[in-house]
Amino acid sequence: MSSIDVAVREGAQAPSRADRPRAARRWSRGRAAWLFIAPSMLILGVFVLWPIVASLWYSLHDWTVGAAQQPWVGLGNYTELMHDDQFWNALGNTLVITVVSVVVLVVLGFLLALALMGEGWGTRFVRSAFFFPTVVSLTSIGLVWRFLLDPNIGLVDGVLQSVGLPSVNWLQSTTLALPTVIFVDIWKTTGFTMIILLAGLKGVPQEMLEAARLDGASAPRIVRSIMLPTIRPTMLFATLILTIQSLQLFDLVYVMTGGGPVFATDTLVTKVFREGFVNFQTGYASAISWVLFALIVLVSALQLRFFRYNDVD
Amino acid sequence: MSTDTYSSRAARSPRTAALKSARWIFLGIGLVVTLVPFLWMLSVSFRTQSDLFQHPANLIPREWTLHGYTAVWEQLPFLRLVVNTFVFAGGATLLCLVFDSMCAYALARIDFPGRNICFWLVLATLMVPFQVTVIPVFIELFHLNWLNTYQGLVIPRATSAFGIFLLRQFFMSIPRELDEAARIDGAGHLRIYWNVILPNAKPALATVAVINFMNLWNDLLWPLVVTSSPEMRTLPAALTLFGGNHVTDYAVLMAGATISLLPLAAAFFLAQRYFVAGVATTGLK
Amino acid sequence: MNRRILVASSSALACALALAACSGGSSDSSSGPVELTVWTGFTGGDRPGYDQIVKDFNASHPNIKVTMDVQPWDTIQQKLPSAWVTGQGPDIAAPSSDPNVIAQYVKTGSVLPLTATGTRDGQIDTAAFPKTLNDVFTYDGKLYAVPANYATLSLYYNKKAFADAGISAPPKTVEEFKADAVKLTKDGQYGLALADNNTIQMWPLLQWLEGGDIVDSNNCSVLQTPEGQNSLKTWTDLVVKDKIAPVGLTGAEADSLFSAGKAAMEMNGPWAASGFKDAGIDLGIATIPLAQDGDAVTLGSTAPLAVSAKTKHPKEAQEFVAYWTSKDVQRTFSKTTGFPPLRTDLADDSELAADPTISVFASQVPDARLYLPHVPNATQVDAEQYVPMIGKITRGADVASETTSTGAAIDGLTGCTSK
Repeated sequence: MSSIDVAVREGAQAPSRADRPRAARRWSRGRAAWLFIAPSMLILGVFVLWPIVASLWYSLHDWTVGAAQQPWVGLGNYTELMHDDQFWNALGNTLVITVVSVVVLVVLGFLLALALMGEGWGTRFVRSAFFFPTVVSLTSIGLVWRFLLDPNIGLVDGVLQSVGLPSVNWLQSTTLALPTVIFVDIWKTTGFTMIILLAGLKGVPQEMLEAARLDGASAPRIVRSIMLPTIRPTMLFATLILTIQSLQLFDLVYVMTGGGPVFATDTLVTKVFREGFVNFQTGYASAISWVLFALIVLVSALQLRFFRYNDVD
Repeated sequence: MSTDTYSSRAARSPRTAALKSARWIFLGIGLVVTLVPFLWMLSVSFRTQSDLFQHPANLIPREWTLHGYTAVWEQLPFLRLVVNTFVFAGGATLLCLVFDSMCAYALARIDFPGRNICFWLVLATLMVPFQVTVIPVFIELFHLNWLNTYQGLVIPRATSAFGIFLLRQFFMSIPRELDEAARIDGAGHLRIYWNVILPNAKPALATVAVINFMNLWNDLLWPLVVTSSPEMRTLPAALTLFGGNHVTDYAVLMAGATISLLPLAAAFFLAQRYFVAGVATTGLK
Repeated sequence: MNRRILVASSSALACALALAACSGGSSDSSSGPVELTVWTGFTGGDRPGYDQIVKDFNASHPNIKVTMDVQPWDTIQQKLPSAWVTGQGPDIAAPSSDPNVIAQYVKTGSVLPLTATGTRDGQIDTAAFPKTLNDVFTYDGKLYAVPANYATLSLYYNKKAFADAGISAPPKTVEEFKADAVKLTKDGQYGLALADNNTIQMWPLLQWLEGGDIVDSNNCSVLQTPEGQNSLKTWTDLVVKDKIAPVGLTGAEADSLFSAGKAAMEMNGPWAASGFKDAGIDLGIATIPLAQDGDAVTLGSTAPLAVSAKTKHPKEAQEFVAYWTSKDVQRTFSKTTGFPPLRTDLADDSELAADPTISVFASQVPDARLYLPHVPNATQVDAEQYVPMIGKITRGADVASETTSTGAAIDGLTGCTSK
């Protein structure tokens, strides 16, 4: 039995719950816990959770900010959105963006983290470079990309023309706009994914790697058998965070296309924004965001289950 | 260090030589795609309007000007904005590190009643976009009299669900034997948190710090919602003054973007050395 | 060591913040000048013009101190309704660049009816505003806002491109306009830089030139009528078949195209002139060509400036609004920004008439029409029906069927009852 298999098996075991605590000890542990979680839970409760509950309340009314009366409509907003073509279109776009982005991001991020694990100055420099897109402000880089992708005067167009290809309507085409937005989203988020996975990779115990090398294991084998299993919590984290963020994609789309052309890049949150702040339908917008919330909860629960029960060997 | 040994040993086999060149090609293409927009952005910040539009696809300016940077300096209370941004982003990040790690410790290490609910509540806060909560939060801040104040700007952002989640995952992967060893020495939760968990979580703490700092720095909407006077603005929020539906001055916009980018890039470059520490094995025989 | 510093600094910070929180928020100034706040979204190049108005007002009114806060329009959209409801908002604001947004604030009772009108000093001189502007801001017989500015569209053209194509003068009629656009589309250059989204509205103006329109006086759609369809089809044929303009441009992209010399003409407002000159274009500005029926027409665009219903200083707020729209202030504003004056009594002003840019825009003010004035749910009609429809027909969709379906949807939104 090689040291790799031993290491894998040990690493895969979750902390055992065999020593089930007695009720009394559990409650006294509870007191210590409350102190630790108090500041965070207080802030999140007041400034995020309570507003979420408030928005549920809005969604059950025909709510307009400032109106004298807020008529109760019960599930009226929810039935209305079922018949709203724009809603279904936005839902479809959002799902496409999420699936494509997350898969590509995790793969690219992992490969980059793997390729840039060292600590030389060169590696640090290259890592910083890949992190630039994540760090730059979105409105500025949205403007830059719009210019670069301009089919008449952009740099991309210049490059295409110089190799004899015709210019392409990236953001103005109803078919290419969504892939282009996805591309820019991936461009912007790869650095972020890279450092999350890098933090995880750095947590791989050095002895395991040494032992594997001494055993003569090849690089792909090491990646598959040691690194991937050990960074499973980090992978889960990265995938979950990326999925949750992708499903709520707003700023990038708003800056690059505003949801167009002809709603080709409309996401659920751009629809929420439009309903809430352009059409002043706060109740309806809240209803859509609660449907989105339910979707995110569902997808997250599925992902947590998938990562926990996935086969080890 | 050990990874360098790894790569030099592996270089002997032809298969891994192919892997090495694949790595270089992959990184090369990635670097080009990643950096070209920034080179363009930097170049435009130094170009005159006529140079930009006569040669829009060029990366090298032909007509140089400092107008972009001087306009930003002259038209904005620059130093005040930078101070505001550091107070906001820096202050909230520090608080985040403390509060997030405390909460994550409890979620990862203490089996208390309501732990799962707590975790799901934290996750839930990530699942609703800001556009949905902005109106109720604004009204809350109004009732607290916190609009247009530093505390209104910082405290609601003094914890991040992202940080709690990441740190919880990371803490869960720290071996429990280290806890046990400390407990045998008589340590309570606070001591374990401080002496065992935190020192071993440097990569994760650095990650949380960098990402939170960066998000807070670039956060446009929150400072714009909370503040209503130009002196309380953060730098990125103030830079939105130069944009518009029919943009006329690209050099100023790009100069603003470049200025905004530099502190973050520097912060990330410096924080990288903290990613080095792996899981500590000290304390065990 | 590092951890200690971390803890020390964050606990110090937390204490400081807690103390600040407990000590409460801002306090009212009991004596001293009346303080007013104004929110506008006038970012971009003409910001100095508005800053000057505030500066000059503060200088000439020692008992009132006005601070203007400029934020992007979408931030104001998100904050203003709640801010005004809680009474925490600005005393005066420009809620949007779209005049029809005022309807929403009137409905929720968030804006003050302006009663300090008249010709005396410190009163809002509504008689000097063009009738279209007063009408668009009047609901139930009460005036709820004044125009913060007033812009018209003119035809910018590239003199060099015209010379190269052998055209000696800018088009005077819409037929010449179309012919020139086709002639100028060659060698990688477009005849016209036409934007259909996130822009000052260009397509409605094209429709008006052809004798078509979007809604009639009963707010019922006329897109599907023969005139409406024809007005659209003429131009979509030019775009789709003759390729006189690219498809799907935003305002900023159309401006860039013209600035780069890749389009020979663009219909745009006064804000663009300096940018085009800086870009090195040999610039000509002409009035919009005459419509099919021989009349002059152009698109007028204004932003509302309104007073909060919950302001503590309604008298001073209206004084500020009156100052903003007064004769001397508007003359200075026009000179600084190139905007035409929004007062009819400045139409013959010698200083403004002497300026070649301003005079072109100002001369078209009497013929300017607003886009969807006083139409219920105008923002939805625009964002969800009209703009997507233009997007579809310029990409080849059938004009007849698109106008019919869009027309029906528009009728539903505006509550058109006469059908």
